[in-house]
Amino acid sequence: MLRIEATSHEGEPALLLQGELDIYAVLEARDRLGHALHEREALLLNLSGLEGLDTAGVQVLVWLKGEAARLGKTLLLFAHSPAVVEVFDLLQVAGLFGDTILIAPDAHDGQGQPGHRVSTS
Amino acid sequence: MDLDAARQTYIIEARELLEAMEEALLALEEAGDPTEPVNAMFRAVHTIKGSAGLFGLDGIVHFAHTVESVLDRVRGHQVALEGELIGLMLEAHDHLGGLIADLQADQPESPASRLQGEQILARLAPHLGGGLTKAAPQAPEAPEGAVREGWHLSIRFGRDVFRNGMDPLSFVRFLGTLGRITHLTSIFSSLPQREAFEPEDCHLGLEIELDTAASRAAIEDVFEFVREDSLIQLVPPNALVEDYLRLIRALPEEERFLGEILVAGGCLTAHELSQALAVQKQEARQEGARLLGTILIEDNAVPPPVVAAALDKQKKAAERQTQELRVIKVSADKLDRLVDLVGELVIAGATAHARAAAAQGGGGLLEATQTVNKLVEEIRDNALSLRMVQIGETFNRFRRIVRDVSKELGKAIELEIHGAETELDKTIVEKLSDPLMHIVRNAIDHGIEPVDVRQARGKPESGTLFLQASHEAGSIIIEVSDDGGGLNKDRILAKAIERGLVRADAELTDNEIINLIFEPGFSTADAVSNLSGRGVGMDVVRRNIDELRGTIEVETAPGQGTTMRMRLPLTLAIIDGFRVEVAGASYVAPLDVVIECLDLAPFLESEENHLINLRGEVLPFLRLREVFRIPGERPRRERVVVIQHGELRAGIVVDRLMGEFQTVIKPLGRLFRGARGLGGSTILGTGEVALILDVAQLVQLAAEGTAAPSRRALAAPTH
Amino acid sequence: MAELIKFSKRQTQVAAVKVERREQYLAFTLAGETFAMDIRAIREVIQFGGITDVPLMPPFIRGVINLRGAVVPVIDLSVRFGRAATAPAQRTCIVIIELEQGEDTLDLGVMVDNVSEVLSIGESEIEPAPAFGSGIRSEFIAGVAKVGDRFVILLDVNHVLSVEELSEIIG
Repeated sequence: MLRIEATSHEGEPALLLQGELDIYAVLEARDRLGHALHEREALLLNLSGLEGLDTAGVQVLVWLKGEAARLGKTLLLFAHSPAVVEVFDLLQVAGLFGDTILIAPDAHDGQGQPGHRVSTS
Repeated sequence: MDLDAARQTYIIEARELLEAMEEALLALEEAGDPTEPVNAMFRAVHTIKGSAGLFGLDGIVHFAHTVESVLDRVRGHQVALEGELIGLMLEAHDHLGGLIADLQADQPESPASRLQGEQILARLAPHLGGGLTKAAPQAPEAPEGAVREGWHLSIRFGRDVFRNGMDPLSFVRFLGTLGRITHLTSIFSSLPQREAFEPEDCHLGLEIELDTAASRAAIEDVFEFVREDSLIQLVPPNALVEDYLRLIRALPEEERFLGEILVAGGCLTAHELSQALAVQKQEARQEGARLLGTILIEDNAVPPPVVAAALDKQKKAAERQTQELRVIKVSADKLDRLVDLVGELVIAGATAHARAAAAQGGGGLLEATQTVNKLVEEIRDNALSLRMVQIGETFNRFRRIVRDVSKELGKAIELEIHGAETELDKTIVEKLSDPLMHIVRNAIDHGIEPVDVRQARGKPESGTLFLQASHEAGSIIIEVSDDGGGLNKDRILAKAIERGLVRADAELTDNEIINLIFEPGFSTADAVSNLSGRGVGMDVVRRNIDELRGTIEVETAPGQGTTMRMRLPLTLAIIDGFRVEVAGASYVAPLDVVIECLDLAPFLESEENHLINLRGEVLPFLRLREVFRIPGERPRRERVVVIQHGELRAGIVVDRLMGEFQTVIKPLGRLFRGARGLGGSTILGTGEVALILDVAQLVQLAAEGTAAPSRRALAAPTH
Repeated sequence: MAELIKFSKRQTQVAAVKVERREQYLAFTLAGETFAMDIRAIREVIQFGGITDVPLMPPFIRGVINLRGAVVPVIDLSVRFGRAATAPAQRTCIVIIELEQGEDTLDLGVMVDNVSEVLSIGESEIEPAPAFGSGIRSEFIAGVAKVGDRFVILLDVNHVLSVEELSEIIG
């Protein structure tokens, strides 16, 4: 189950993703997020509410990134939840998105120090 | 990950590779184009070494490395493989065999073996031309040598992977448990734009560097469920630059893009990549672009042998393709299980048919069961043929032995093989190997004379050993003949008397004397040569053949040679049988020994001497009732089944003839090992157990006339 | 052939609580006498019937039977003990025994007059075989147990049915 809600980030409109971005949700995600991308200059996605993410979910995000580039717009992912961080790490796609990923202090693969910003390019 | 199973597979494959290497070496000793044998040998050693590396078998890697290097130079025409070097290579081959045997027995290498290995390596060293020892064996001398210690996995998941319920993430996670993923790149290059994007299609590709001790099979198994739809390629550790380049060329994405992934993963250095690709690009622009292989040689980037190996690999891959289509390996247990099941099917079919016949309900039931049984017969024949292997494999093993032993004894012996494509049940072949070995060694040791003796006798210098296999009415005949000095009757008799096997005054036919060699406690070797083994006698050979329900006979002529002829049943499992009845109990004879069936009365020649007259041919008969001491009166009308075993024919007199049927042989078991006249049992369609007749024994019995007391008087030796 | 009783091999309890080990034995009669053997070796008991005679065998081999597709030899225990052959009657049974001989297991059928019950006998209730006996070889007897008011002779199955010995007699 995926829920998409309007929110804001640093004064700008953003979308909050909650629940599971998985094979069952990707059709809806493509439609709604793709539509949202068309309507704005920059699509900001808050990923803190995502409890689950599978390959299909990653794929939609990658597609979104490609669409943003094609349309000359911006896609920004932030507040990556631990589930998202784990999957991004497994598939090594952080570099694809180029966003900063903040790792919570108690991440148990020992990747981060408290407040450590992982800059990716 | 089952390391034990992987290791077992390695041992089996290593043995096969060693056999191939030996064949190649022996082929080199005869004339002909050496290219293919040399390549075969190089491939064999290369693979043994590579896989050994995977299992951390440093001893094997260490030894094989030098051997491989020398073979490399041979391939590059820098060293000639002939004469003494061939002998040295054979020693190296044997040493490798010893290392594999140690591995199998889970034993560490003995100091003696170690020493032997070093000695062989030392003698190989001069052929290395002082300098081409490579640090990382397969890596060409690149400015920055890439260390390719891990597996490279290249995966392009199929479109339907999500729909089939899979998530590539789980594969990645699992791979992580097999080893360490040192590098991973996700590739979404096939992801379409706009609405053409179907989110439920999978567009994920992965390029992974995996550090693991797992076998290729274990790694491939991870992707078992997506193998059908996805593109999965593995490049093992220590692969050539060319392997990666080829991988790159096989993948859909752009070469430089992929190349950079490989560089990032440590498979290639940036230098190697850009060089190879840049040159290639230049060439492609011109007409007649050269093969990548040639580019590399001519620009001196890679030493020729390496390129040759690479091209070789490609060629071999192409060959392997076609070969793989022709042969597959099947686990022996699975095959046995299949044959068992077919056996049960045969019995079930017979039961169904019997019931149909008894039911008399008509309505085509009888025909239907007959149709089923015909198909079952076909399946049976097919299943049994799966168990058949060519005896040529076993015969070929003797080439090496003949070569070595004859050299050691200073004799010149040639081996001629006939009927190598004759097929036998695999169990028989396995059990034949020891007795055959013994007979062959006897022929070499004692049969064929030394060169000077042969010359003195006016024989060709080189003695010949014939190994021959052929089919004959339900049996398979295997002959080992030599044109040596033949068996010495007098010496045999003398020895037998000395050993107390016969009395000094006994009168024996020539045949009986010769057959004394099969008596336990007999051995004609004056000195037990270490080649013939522990002085194991022909009695063991005969026992082995007995256990296979076969017979062995000897023909010999003094000064001319000896032939050992073994007769074995074609199959141990399922037979076509002919059922007979005596006093209500059923017995079965294998159908292929049955010549004909008759009423006894018209053909009876002499009841007292137990003889029948079959259109002029007088044959002995025996009455099952008498042989088996079955109580009761014989019926007035008796039947006789004429059977043939080898050259002997006899009649078996029974009460009733019950007809043909096919059935599974069930061994009677250890308890009945000494049973006479019987060779197993079977279960009839009615559920009743019927005993299978041992035709060989029965025919022998009939021929000896022990069936009829009065005939014994006739059988006194004349001579 | 109807199956009368089928036992699982591992029926022996190792009673942690009880002080003494009790083993289970199947009691049967042979020419009027009661014998018993350890249940662990017994696979099943079937009605007597459908025996195929194997010719030229010593008298204690009764023949072979078809046990669900396997050909199993049947031995007449009475003859094995040197007595008269067992005459098949209504209650005559064949006890199928699983013998371990070296690395193989061998199935063997034993013909008895009838099978009576399963006895639970404790170690303390077993006495060594008497010096004189019912004429049965002492190696065959594992001991004698007193059950209620009768004596039951416990057989040492591995000796009675030693394949080594039997196949040697057969030749």
